[in-house]
Amino acid sequence: MAEDTKHIVSSFELDLQKLRDMIAAMGGLVERSVADATAALLTHDSELAARVVALDPKIDAEERAVDQFAVKLLALRQPVADDLRQVVTALKIITDLERIGDYASNVAKRSLVLNKVASAYSLSGIGQMANLVQQNLKTVIDAAGEADPQKAITIWRADQMVDDLYNTIFRELITYMMEDARSITACTHLLFIAKNLERIGDHATNIAELTYYAVTGETLPDFRPKGDQTSAYVHIDPAK
Amino acid sequence: MEIASHQMSTVPLPADLQAAAAMDKVRVSIRDLNFYYGDNHALKDINIDYLDRKTTAMIGPSGCGKSTLLRVLNRMYDLYPGQRAEGEVMLGDQNIIASGVDLNRLRRRVGMVFQKPTPFPKSIYENVVFGVRLHEKLSKSEMDERVEWALTRAALWGEVKDRLNSSAIGLSGGQQQRLCIARSIAVRPEVLLLDEPTSALDPISTLKIEELIDELKKDFTIIIVTHNMQQAGRCADQVAFFYLGELVEVGSSSQIFTAPRERRTQEYITGRFG
Repeated sequence: MAEDTKHIVSSFELDLQKLRDMIAAMGGLVERSVADATAALLTHDSELAARVVALDPKIDAEERAVDQFAVKLLALRQPVADDLRQVVTALKIITDLERIGDYASNVAKRSLVLNKVASAYSLSGIGQMANLVQQNLKTVIDAAGEADPQKAITIWRADQMVDDLYNTIFRELITYMMEDARSITACTHLLFIAKNLERIGDHATNIAELTYYAVTGETLPDFRPKGDQTSAYVHIDPAK
Repeated sequence: MEIASHQMSTVPLPADLQAAAAMDKVRVSIRDLNFYYGDNHALKDINIDYLDRKTTAMIGPSGCGKSTLLRVLNRMYDLYPGQRAEGEVMLGDQNIIASGVDLNRLRRRVGMVFQKPTPFPKSIYENVVFGVRLHEKLSKSEMDERVEWALTRAALWGEVKDRLNSSAIGLSGGQQQRLCIARSIAVRPEVLLLDEPTSALDPISTLKIEELIDELKKDFTIIIVTHNMQQAGRCADQVAFFYLGELVEVGSSSQIFTAPRERRTQEYITGRFG
C-alpha cells in the first residue's frame, strides 16, 4: 500500500508487510509456472512440463499459508479501512493465483500428451497468446505489489486482446479438425490449452479489479466487454 | 454475581412520544457551530445532522472536540463561566443554544450518561424516579409503572425487581451504568447522549450496554462518544470523525470503516496517528 504514515503498532506494520511479501512470493511461483508451462509447450520439453506439474502442490501449500496468516490478522488485529481491504483482497487474490496455477499445470499436462501425438498445427498463435497472458499476469502481480491502481486498470482493459486471440485460435482449430479428422485429438488438447490461457487472463483481470478496490476503496464497473465470443456459436434468444 | 437479562422490553413507547419521534427524520441539526473555552476555539464551523432514532458515534483523538460537542447538546457548558457557543443547534424547531431556553426542560429532552456510573447514594427506585419527580406529577402507581418501564428498557428489571429499595451503590459497575441509563430514559428524553459509557466496564458488561443501545435506538436518538473504534462500528449507524475541533468526515459506519474518504480518518481509524 502506498502509505506515507506508519502504524503506531509497528508489529502490525510488519504483519501487513509480511502479507504483501507472501503474496508476492506466491505470485512469483505462479508466474514461473505459467512461463514454464508455455515454454514446455512451445519447445516440446517434457521434462520442464513435468516440473510445472510437480510445482502445483507447492502453490496450493502457499495459498493455505497466506490464507491462515490473513485470517490470523483479521482475528488479532481487527483491521479497518485500507488495512481491511488489503487483507480481504489478499484472501481473494490468492484464490485467483491458485486457480492460475491449476490452469498452468493443466497446460503442462496437455503438452506432455501433445508431445506424443503428431500435429501439423503451428503453435505460433498459441505462443503469442501465451506471451501476452504472461505479460499481463506479471504486470498485474506487480500492480498488486506496488498498490498501483493505474497499472491495474491497464491490465483490466488489456484482457480484450487475449480474448480476441482466443477467438481466432478457436476458429482456426475448428477448421483444422473439419479438414482432417485425424487431427482432432491434438486440436482438442490445443483448444483446451487456449481456453486455459484465456481463463488465466480472466483471473488476472480479477486480480486487477481486487487491487483497484484495495487501493482506492472503489469497485470497477462490471461493464468490461466480454471478448470470448466462441459461445456465440450457440444462438440464445432472450425473448423465449 | 450479575445475572444476564437479555429479555428486552416489548413495552411500546407512550403515544405522545411516538408521535413526537415520528415527526422528522433529522432530530438534531447543527449549523455553523463554533465553541470557545475562553480564547480557545474548541469547535470550528461544525455542520452535522443527527438522524432520528439512529445512533451516531463520534470518534477522534483526545481533545478533538467530540466531548465538547456533547456538552453543547444539553448546554452543560452553561455551568461554567467563559465558555460560549455560537451558531445554531436545532432540536426540532428550537435553537437550543439561544438565550432564554429553559434549561431544565432542555435537559429533560436531552438525557446524558457519563463515562463512570454516577448513581445517587439512594435506593434503586429513588434513582430512577429522581428526574421524573422534577418534571412530572405522577401517582404512586403511575410512578411504579414508569420505574418498571425504564428499568426494563435498560435491561435491568430482571436483576433488580426484587430489591428496588436496596442501595444503588451495591450494584456492580455494569448494573450501575444501566441504572444510569434507566434514570436518563425515565424522563422520556428525545435524545440520549452517551459519553464513553463503557470505558469503565468489563467486556461482558460492555456488550450488554451495546445490546441495550441497539434496543434503545428504536425509541431515542442516540449520540455516543467512544474511544473504542470497534464499538463505534458495532453500535452506530452513522460515524463522525473529529480532529482538532473540526468535523473531518461523517458517513455510514460501514463506509467509514471500509472506505473512508478522508486521509485523516483513514490514518486515525487504522491506528497510524492519534
